[in-house]
Amino acid sequence: MLSRVAENLYWFGRYLERAENTARLINVNTYLLLDMPKIITPGWLPLVEISGNEAAFNRSYKESSEENVLKFLITDPENPDSILSTLRFARENLRTTRDVTQREVWELVNDLYYDVRDEGHRCITRQQRNEYLTEIIRGVQLIVGTLFTGTSYDNAFKFMRLGFNIEQADMTTRILDITSQDLLPHQQDELASLQNIQWMSVLKSLTAYQMYRRHVRTRVNGPSVLKFLLQDRAFPRSVLFGLSRNESLIRQLPNNKAPLNHLNKLKRTIKAADVRALSEHGLHEFVDEIQLGLSALHNSYGETYFYC
Amino acid sequence: MPFNWQQYKSGEFYDELFEAPGKPRPAADNLVKYLTKMSPQDLKTRRTAAELTIKLMGISFTVYSEGQMIDRAWPFDIIPRIIPLSEWQTVEAGLKQRVEALNLFIQDIYNDQKIIKDKVFPRHLIERSTNFRKQCMGVSPPLKTWAHICGSDLVRGGDGVMYVLEDNLRVPSGVSYMLENRLVTKRVFPEVFQTTNIMPVDDYATQLYETLSNLSPRRTKKPVIALLTPGIYNSAYFEHAYLAQQMGIELVIGSDLFTDSDDCVYMKTIKGPQRVDVIYRRIDDLFLDPEAFNKDSMLGTPGLMRSWLKGKVALANAPGAGVADDKVVYTYVPDFIKYYLGEDPILPNVPSYRCYLKKERDYVLENIDKLVVKPANESGGYGMLVGPHSTKAEQNKFRELIKAKPRNYIAQPTLALSTAPTLIGRGIAPRHLDLRPFILSGKKRYVTTGGLTRVALVKGSLVVNSSQGGGSKDTWIVDTGKTDKPKKTKPYTQSRTTQKPGKGKA
Repeated sequence: MLSRVAENLYWFGRYLERAENTARLINVNTYLLLDMPKIITPGWLPLVEISGNEAAFNRSYKESSEENVLKFLITDPENPDSILSTLRFARENLRTTRDVTQREVWELVNDLYYDVRDEGHRCITRQQRNEYLTEIIRGVQLIVGTLFTGTSYDNAFKFMRLGFNIEQADMTTRILDITSQDLLPHQQDELASLQNIQWMSVLKSLTAYQMYRRHVRTRVNGPSVLKFLLQDRAFPRSVLFGLSRNESLIRQLPNNKAPLNHLNKLKRTIKAADVRALSEHGLHEFVDEIQLGLSALHNSYGETYFYC
Repeated sequence: MPFNWQQYKSGEFYDELFEAPGKPRPAADNLVKYLTKMSPQDLKTRRTAAELTIKLMGISFTVYSEGQMIDRAWPFDIIPRIIPLSEWQTVEAGLKQRVEALNLFIQDIYNDQKIIKDKVFPRHLIERSTNFRKQCMGVSPPLKTWAHICGSDLVRGGDGVMYVLEDNLRVPSGVSYMLENRLVTKRVFPEVFQTTNIMPVDDYATQLYETLSNLSPRRTKKPVIALLTPGIYNSAYFEHAYLAQQMGIELVIGSDLFTDSDDCVYMKTIKGPQRVDVIYRRIDDLFLDPEAFNKDSMLGTPGLMRSWLKGKVALANAPGAGVADDKVVYTYVPDFIKYYLGEDPILPNVPSYRCYLKKERDYVLENIDKLVVKPANESGGYGMLVGPHSTKAEQNKFRELIKAKPRNYIAQPTLALSTAPTLIGRGIAPRHLDLRPFILSGKKRYVTTGGLTRVALVKGSLVVNSSQGGGSKDTWIVDTGKTDKPKKTKPYTQSRTTQKPGKGKA
């Protein structure tokens, strides 16, 4: 398969997954704010920080109001990671590879892109927003489902899945990072219950709450949630799961030595994580470390398969 | 209230669906009966459904406007254009004949030039042809075929006769829209497909694949075929992607390919270089290979010509095939048919005046307000003058252009192009149209069933190009059984005794 096509499919996977996870991230923050006591106002800026686009945000907006942040994250064409932008990039990548993807997938991506573009006004009020974001999430899942049930498991699809999985690992770490914002009050009695609310929203944003309950069988607490979302071997949105998926895909591709080295290193770091300590402090730095590792992995894919 | 077809009048023009007001042609009978039952609201609903389908399927073409590339939805009229099968069979034979002669001409021009020696065709026309490639002299491509894919534009005049308006032998486009139009129509008017015997069109991709694989220099079971596109900003990119997908071949851009020191062409893949046997190129000659042609081209691949000349890769269409695309050369095609095939042309040309001949030029200069003046080597409807719709200043400008470069212009009488009913606003009105069938030449020749019907959506306009506000229609080749009396035969039915209970309709 063509290197250029492989690269475009990989990016298609990444962008599509990014769109879905951004929608999840916004949803979780909306619910978190509802549950938090009124004296605590974590606000919306953390979401911009998580996506790493503060500079772009500050260029376009004076204040980090709910409306501004949501416009920026959902429909702003100037933000390369807004849901609309990522869907547009996904669509452009698919457009240049339309010869290898199913027509139905193109139709669905088109449809979703136009919906998000034309219905952007719905992201402003909280009530409509939830509906709107849920439609986006479902739209992406419909595309992914169509791909998984109707695409040959060939190299083209492998590169797409590499993109899905690496992006999911990346976004899971970013969503975890939302808890490392030091926003909660320090009175011990209140803190515990508020922390739990925070961890619970993290689980819910990744629709991991039920699976957590079934497999972890303990009340929601920081170390267990971290363990589940970083190190669980069976939950598809855990970081380790995403990396293992990447590994099994890479093993089926040629010239895989360099990417496998990066993967193994990352997996070791994840497995060695001390979740109890991280739930207290240092999570943000740990997330940074993982993201650097993911970025090195990403570059090794490029060097091996895309720019030979 | 349904539309009153008695009110539909095409005036002096030949109408494709109606013999006379209120009297549909036999092949259009079922369609008109069906449409008669529909209210303007019904038609509007169907049109909205078609537009939605087009948007959803992402059928688009790209236009460059105000410094931006815009992806426009494909403009489509839901009322199909109908041609009876009996007429189509003649057109098909005429197109095959024409393309055979054209390929013989190109092969002759780049080799023995017998036609020039026999004084049937003047040498100076070739020497000044912008699409003549001296690099191709002495080349004999596989099957001695140069124009593997040809798109010929047909128009019907007021006399009801189908004329060939031009032959596109370089990179003709539009076939994907022909295929997509049918898919849209099936979704919009599924009922008519049950009552009318409409010939299917979807064989094209298979036939094109066959044609291309016939050209492979290596005798492998599955030659590696790639479609070379200028990229996503090309107006026909949708079509490139569509055809590559339908044929299951690679869609490549110039930078995906390279020519190695063994003169073979390779594509860059995740496993390393892979040799390419056949390239269906949708890039013009001059941008194909910066080594051989335009040095600044970013679209092509260096070394393609070198590889082609050594027979290591096949290019379709062959470089230099455009020499017969020239509108002055066009005027000689009936002579080619007689010269090479010893046959009379089945399809006539539109009568044309060649400005390089003094007598004909004088006529053109004198009557420019009645004629359509066309440059010899433009496509897409650019750079032409439609006399009756032009100003005095424009006419004078063209007079000067012709005098300066008479070789570069031909002129034709303004044709009374045929019309067909077209949905305009809330009503139905006649609009002018043409037809572009596609002819494939490999080991055998194949003509699309019908072709792409393009329609000028502006009242009275004769310009059908999509880049200039034209739309399109589905084209139905309809088998009415026989031309006059339909033969009555008993349809086969399952006999009562063999019918099992619960299976099928009782």
